[in-house]
Amino acid sequence: MTGKATLDLQALREAVQVYRARYVHLDDFTYPPGTRIAVNLTLDFDTMLRRRFSHEPIMQLAKGEFGGRVGIWRLLELFESHAVKATLFTPGRICELYPQALAAALEAGHEIADHMWEHQVPADPDLEYDHLVKSTEALERFTGRRPVGTRSSHTAAFLKQLGYLYRSDGVADHLPYYVADAKGENMLLNLPFHYAIDDAMFFNFGWIESGPSGQRLADPESVLEMWWEAFERLYDQGSYLNICLHPFISGRALRIAMLDRLITKMNAIPGVWFPTCEELARYCLAHYPPPSNSP
Amino acid sequence: MPWKDGYTTSDEKTLADRDITWPDRHQCAFVLVVDLSVASRPEGITPSDLTTPSSQFGAQVGLPSLLEVLKRFGISATFATPAVMAELDPEIIGTILAEGHEVAAHGFKHEDVSQLSREEERSRIEAATDSLTRITGQRPAGWYSLPRQRDPFAVGTVSPHTIELLIAAGYTYMGNGLADDIPYYWVADVDTRSSLLTLPYYYHFDDQFFLMFPPPGLGSGLENPKPFLTNCLQEFDAQHQRGRYFSMVLHPHIIGFGHRMRLLETILSHVQEASGVWNPTASQCAHYWQTHYPADSVLHLEPSIWKDYPGSLS
Repeated sequence: MTGKATLDLQALREAVQVYRARYVHLDDFTYPPGTRIAVNLTLDFDTMLRRRFSHEPIMQLAKGEFGGRVGIWRLLELFESHAVKATLFTPGRICELYPQALAAALEAGHEIADHMWEHQVPADPDLEYDHLVKSTEALERFTGRRPVGTRSSHTAAFLKQLGYLYRSDGVADHLPYYVADAKGENMLLNLPFHYAIDDAMFFNFGWIESGPSGQRLADPESVLEMWWEAFERLYDQGSYLNICLHPFISGRALRIAMLDRLITKMNAIPGVWFPTCEELARYCLAHYPPPSNSP
Repeated sequence: MPWKDGYTTSDEKTLADRDITWPDRHQCAFVLVVDLSVASRPEGITPSDLTTPSSQFGAQVGLPSLLEVLKRFGISATFATPAVMAELDPEIIGTILAEGHEVAAHGFKHEDVSQLSREEERSRIEAATDSLTRITGQRPAGWYSLPRQRDPFAVGTVSPHTIELLIAAGYTYMGNGLADDIPYYWVADVDTRSSLLTLPYYYHFDDQFFLMFPPPGLGSGLENPKPFLTNCLQEFDAQHQRGRYFSMVLHPHIIGFGHRMRLLETILSHVQEASGVWNPTASQCAHYWQTHYPADSVLHLEPSIWKDYPGSLS
């Protein structure tokens, strides 16, 4: 190889080495005896709060309102009917918008975790920290417990500082894994979720400024089939599945019916565990702790 | 401090399934909406919208076919009618009324009112109301603001004044809102408790977002009859089981073609075979709801606990 090509390759190698060094994959991960797969049902209970920043129209906000008024209640009923637990990734401000639903979720034994104060991570670090503290404290005041998980891109150092145990964002593995920040510090457990197992990708018109040309409207039957195939494959491998649901999307009657069929099928076979994210995170931390030399 | 202003338009919690009853012990309500607009842009119906083969098809082929199917299945529908469409073709409005359907307003020309001044919007509502009153012989009870195919959000557009202006103009219901899947009250002013009954809309049950969508110039124009059919059937079944409400929106220039009419027949057969389906027009449904679930008794208007913080949304 000539000089320039060698330099190019070296730069790529260094970049990837530094990046890969941030990850700890749990190659020998197994569940407790009798469990083949953990399925985390996760609700992003944001009711489209973020859309306020984009100044989206009134009707669009009402679409999100459906999640708080109607959808969340149906999802709670669905989980109760199957005796499964879920994790609600909840922006702190939802405590002020939908206190009744949040109280019902808490009462039912679901986990309330963070989903950003107002469903966004401010660019300014001081304001970011301020938002994370506000959200953490709002959820703590409401639930009586400090949240230990987040679905956000919040700075890992801030999350560690505030006692967070895990994040659920991004998918660098099928299984839970540890990842450090860009400086190689603040290693945090990640419970991966894939956009292919996210209701918003199939049923929500105009996902984040995509407009009519980027629409993706599917029917529940085709999504059920796809998610079931993902589940079967991961079940065979003794792996992990995180199903991301939005109350304003999955709370629609036709999709509750679809999720009812999906959970019924999953529950009918042995070894399917529906923990909260916190339960799974504590299992990982206890049995597969981050390397002792980890930052 | 406004009442959750800009976040919520109604109560914190919907009515539970068990609290909903329909007339004569019917199991659920089915409201069919036909959108007579051919507007492609926010400015509403223009000469170029009306002078296309598609528009010609809708008026000359699609609408008569749709009326024939509705008659054959004994279905009442509500026609969301831009005033200009009624002005251009008053005879067909007479036919629609004669066949037992309702004619509701759908803007003066199905324009986006969100950027208009309050006074301009008021005068357009007045013009549309006057026009439809003259042509139909009665004041329209309902007002629609349905989405156009090219809108950035498939939800419909209103201004911050629309609901109070409609109340002032004497409308008894707003035809499309997304905050529930049963009729609900859209609060215009929390202090005076003024509100307008709103009927649910959801784009997953609207033909224009599945049949050759995205439209030319915006995307590849995918024909997705099966997802549309599946969505309608599964939502109907789920809402029927819950004892709630199902509504779909059809456009004569879209649903009127070939295989799509067959799709509609499949849905209507399915609805017909289900037990205890009440098929009112939108205004009949609104009247029932206002009588049995009046705003005074069902609207809670929980006090807001929303606070203002520096560096946060107000």
